[in-house]
Amino acid sequence: MIEVENLVFKYPKSVTATLKGISFNVEKGEVFGFLGPSGAGKSTAQKVLYKIFNTYEGLAKIDGKNLSDWDNSYFEKIGVGFELPNHYLKLTGKENLALFATFYKNKPKKSMEELFGMVDLSDAMNKPVEAYSKGMKMRLNFIRAIQHDPDIIFFDEPTSGLDPVSAHKIKQHIINLKAAGKTIFITTHSMATADEICDRVSFIVDGELRATDTPKNLKKQYGLEAVNVELNNGKLHEFPLVNLGVNEKFLAFIKSDGVKRIHTQEASLEEVFIKVTGKALKV
Amino acid sequence: MKKIIKLAIVDFKIIFRDNTLKGMLALPFILFALIIWGVPPLVEKYEFLTPYLHLFLAVAVIENTQTFSFIGSMVLIDEKETDVAKVYGIVPLSKVAYIFSRFLIPYLFTVALNIILFVVQPFFEIGIGVNLLISFTSSLVVPLYVLSINSIVKNRMEGMIYIKAFNMLVLLPLAAFFVPENFKHLFGFIPTHWIFQSVENTTLGLSSNLFLVIGFVFFVCLIFFISRIFIKRHFI
Repeated sequence: MIEVENLVFKYPKSVTATLKGISFNVEKGEVFGFLGPSGAGKSTAQKVLYKIFNTYEGLAKIDGKNLSDWDNSYFEKIGVGFELPNHYLKLTGKENLALFATFYKNKPKKSMEELFGMVDLSDAMNKPVEAYSKGMKMRLNFIRAIQHDPDIIFFDEPTSGLDPVSAHKIKQHIINLKAAGKTIFITTHSMATADEICDRVSFIVDGELRATDTPKNLKKQYGLEAVNVELNNGKLHEFPLVNLGVNEKFLAFIKSDGVKRIHTQEASLEEVFIKVTGKALKV
Repeated sequence: MKKIIKLAIVDFKIIFRDNTLKGMLALPFILFALIIWGVPPLVEKYEFLTPYLHLFLAVAVIENTQTFSFIGSMVLIDEKETDVAKVYGIVPLSKVAYIFSRFLIPYLFTVALNIILFVVQPFFEIGIGVNLLISFTSSLVVPLYVLSINSIVKNRMEGMIYIKAFNMLVLLPLAAFFVPENFKHLFGFIPTHWIFQSVENTTLGLSSNLFLVIGFVFFVCLIFFISRIFIKRHFI
């Protein structure tokens, strides 16, 4: 659905390229994540793909058609959830959504009430957006991005500024969109978010992709396939995961006293990121 | 058309919910009051002002365009400052259609205000034909002004400074009436100069067609050129 090959992008007044020949593809119905620190080029890559920046080099294809060959009908196909809230503050949430809905040929599949209900904004739909908190504005961003039922949805830091409950709901909605066959491309610096919802992720640092794989594979590749067992008496021991159930030493160890905790030694996505890129994630 | 009307309604909702912008809507009424009830007694009392009556009228024509120039500039600056402009970059509305839809209604309102101004002013007999021509040409100040401001500024603070400067700039050709005849067209690089000259010729009973054609072509070329810059900068 999205094919990108050797994509190079340089801002007009910049000396060096922000995107230095990145290549990746996103399949239909996939949740694909770009992970990286601020300034890595995540949002720039998205902006190229939603045609805000048109002066790129390399190949970018959507549904087999060059991005540059798409006319305005491309925007019927995509939805964009921006990183920061951007609404008319003097208008109500409902007026904001209704305004942007008029630009699309597709009538919204969900009613306004349903859309606002999805993100717990039913009570606020007729209030001016200037009275919304940042989290509420971000939720409004989310429903504006999906209201015209697009096939491809770009989310830039979709859980940024949200409380844990709202963030969880948004993640669940993204998973539901994937289940409905939507292609989703997110950028985030939140490894936890990526781990939870992405089918595949790419690590992007300084405009270059350092690794692309499923979170599971990446963690497996860079982590230890072992468990760490701690007993009530304070004794600690590490056992390989392979044949753990028939490992005599392991069985003897856990029988010797009460088990306080057992942890797998799988690396977190953040640890993998640091190992692969040699950089920590700075927001 | 539906999109144009929808955007115009949204713009008016924003105007009526913002006290500063709402206040600006009173400007044409104040201007009309001054022209109908303020200037005549003033000229009666100070007769030396009589030869300058056409300048009062020309200034009123240009000031009429300032209502929607100011409002339009502030609405678009606000759109940029709140990043709403970015949303227009990713909707199925061409950038040209966006410009057209944002300016058609304010432009037509300004045309209407100037037509009314020419009808209600008590100083000169002005035919409907030339009234329409001057009104349609002079109202092009609105899109040119708003597009120019929004191609330059990044926020409200900068916007206010440039609006002040532009307010003076559009009236600068007034100076052409106080310099030797040979030098008056030195102000021709400011498009409103051609409106001032058209109004003068009309009030003297002379043809203003040439000045109106120059003014119209100048305005359209500038709008075309500034639009390209605006499109590059506004939606990012």
